[in-house]
Amino acid sequence: MKHHKTIFVVLISILLGFSSMAVAKEGNWKKGRIYYKMVCSECHLEKAGGKISPSEKTKAEWLDYFEKNIHGPQDAPTKYTASYFVSKEYRESIKNTNRAAKKMLKVPEDQLLEDVKAFLVHTAKDSDQPSRCE
Amino acid sequence: MKIPGSTIFHICRISLLFVLLSGSAYATTTADHTKFKQLQVHFNSGPDVTRTCIKCHTEAAKQIHKTKHWTWEFLNPQNKQRLGKKNIVNNFCITPKSNFDHCATCHVGYGWRDDTFDFSSEVNVDCLVCHDTTGDYLKSGDNAGHPKSTVDLAYIAQNVGKTSRDTCGACHFYGGGGNGVKHGDMDDSLAVPDRDLDVHMDAVGPDFTCSTCHKSIEHDVAGSRYMPDAKHTDDYHVHRRDYDEENNAHCRACHGNKPHKKADKSRLNHHANKIACQTCHIPEMSRGGIPTRMTWDWSTAGQLNEDGEPIERKVDGNLVYSSKRGTITYAENINPEYIWFNGKVRYQLLTEKVRYNDDGYVLVNEFEGSPYDGESRIWPVKVFRGVQPYDPVNQTLVVPHTTGSDKASYWKNFDWQKAVAAGMKSAGLPFSGEVDFVKTQMSWLINHMVTPGEGAVGCNECHSKNGRLKDIDGIYIPGRDADKTLDAYGWLIASMTLVGVILHGIGRIISYYWSKRK
Repeated sequence: MKHHKTIFVVLISILLGFSSMAVAKEGNWKKGRIYYKMVCSECHLEKAGGKISPSEKTKAEWLDYFEKNIHGPQDAPTKYTASYFVSKEYRESIKNTNRAAKKMLKVPEDQLLEDVKAFLVHTAKDSDQPSRCE
Repeated sequence: MKIPGSTIFHICRISLLFVLLSGSAYATTTADHTKFKQLQVHFNSGPDVTRTCIKCHTEAAKQIHKTKHWTWEFLNPQNKQRLGKKNIVNNFCITPKSNFDHCATCHVGYGWRDDTFDFSSEVNVDCLVCHDTTGDYLKSGDNAGHPKSTVDLAYIAQNVGKTSRDTCGACHFYGGGGNGVKHGDMDDSLAVPDRDLDVHMDAVGPDFTCSTCHKSIEHDVAGSRYMPDAKHTDDYHVHRRDYDEENNAHCRACHGNKPHKKADKSRLNHHANKIACQTCHIPEMSRGGIPTRMTWDWSTAGQLNEDGEPIERKVDGNLVYSSKRGTITYAENINPEYIWFNGKVRYQLLTEKVRYNDDGYVLVNEFEGSPYDGESRIWPVKVFRGVQPYDPVNQTLVVPHTTGSDKASYWKNFDWQKAVAAGMKSAGLPFSGEVDFVKTQMSWLINHMVTPGEGAVGCNECHSKNGRLKDIDGIYIPGRDADKTLDAYGWLIASMTLVGVILHGIGRIISYYWSKRK
């Protein structure tokens, strides 16, 4: 019986590992769209030089952006990477003024990053549905 | 500390349950379509998918066959007009008649090209267009509602689910030929709205889908533009749509007839008898950053460049002139117009001679209403004005064959006579052979983009001279309807009364002391 329990625990651990990997791997573009529109765009419209539409870049350019993980501007603090702006630290810092950031406070960082990436790729310039979402 | 094996075992079991419930995108459904062997195949066409769907969902296609989404037809029981997209004209793209190859992109079916389309075919029903959850299902622009050849139909079929703002919006956000073109209160900003844009659909708030209000029974969706419920007098109806009730998609179904609960706002409930909720709670049209079209002049279409090629001009990304369509204007964040409306709508049919209003416009639809009929409320509307082709001899609006690449298509030959002749022939309607243009006007009720209370229309926006309701007659509105002469008489009478009271009081005091002295 003890042997069976050990096998079961090992199997479950593997399953949990795989499932969390799978969840982080496949972004949900609809959730990414909410974050992009209600957090990214809101800041860009008000403070960071205007809107950036997903259709301004191709799929490859967006993937390259996330690969390089540089957000800018050039004189910005080094921590201002693409991943920083989906981090819990960032969401925590704006939760009092941004309802979407507050609502998504508990979403794992890597998952949210994949969601946003999925949205931008899904609606990129060379996608089937280019979006000029503000 | 040693953790007992049984505890770990139970933790693992709970974790497994958690993973199964939260890890699946379809945890709220009872059927995971990715597991169905029947869907793990290659599908050659949309009807192929439907053939598989209806093996389990045996009644679904039959139910769809009875709906407006399928027939594009509606018989108005009030005035017996045969309406529906199939029968009416508008002043945007004018009519799908003779243009079904293109317009059927928004039909919940496959293959509607002309009158030979089989409306009794179950496999012609397009399940995926409403039930896709991936966002990857796209219909081809000119192929009678068939999906694009690039769509992975098996993937879409394995990922079906409930309808969403995205699936409904795929057509309803794009009515009239583009994003936000037609309605003034619907565009793709409603896919992810914030609270200010729509308090109900707020993506991080209540997150209503379209079907939260537009409830359906047997695939028949509540709500009708042909017979709107303009003055619902019954109280709450939420989650209870009876078969004999035409429309439950209205504010009062949830909010009742006294929607303002706070004591300091209860005064506003007195307005509810004469004013639609939308009048105050939708202060402006097109508030989501996407402009709506306000005018469309087809008479200027057909201008070509020096090489004889069609041209397009855009301003801020919006098409303002095209050889195919003519001249178009836009607006956003604009006040609607206001009318008395009792829910009765009459359309200008293709078989009727045109009727003009006092301003020389043919009213494509007429909204009935009066301050005196006891049935009307003041409603916000988008009034869309256009110039479109008509038959000056028969005095009727006409069907132009605009889309497609055949010789008769206007977008191919830029010849109105040929296009209208082909269109009228296809519709089986008489055509004199002459084409002229007529000014037309069409009204659209404003129902969406509902702002919360703090963004609603302020009191003085109506209770003032030249306010929003300056053209609404038949009702006394304090602040708007003040008359200087009448006011002067009123103040004079009040002043004289006050003076009289004071003099009377003084007289009583004097007489009291006078009598005491004696």
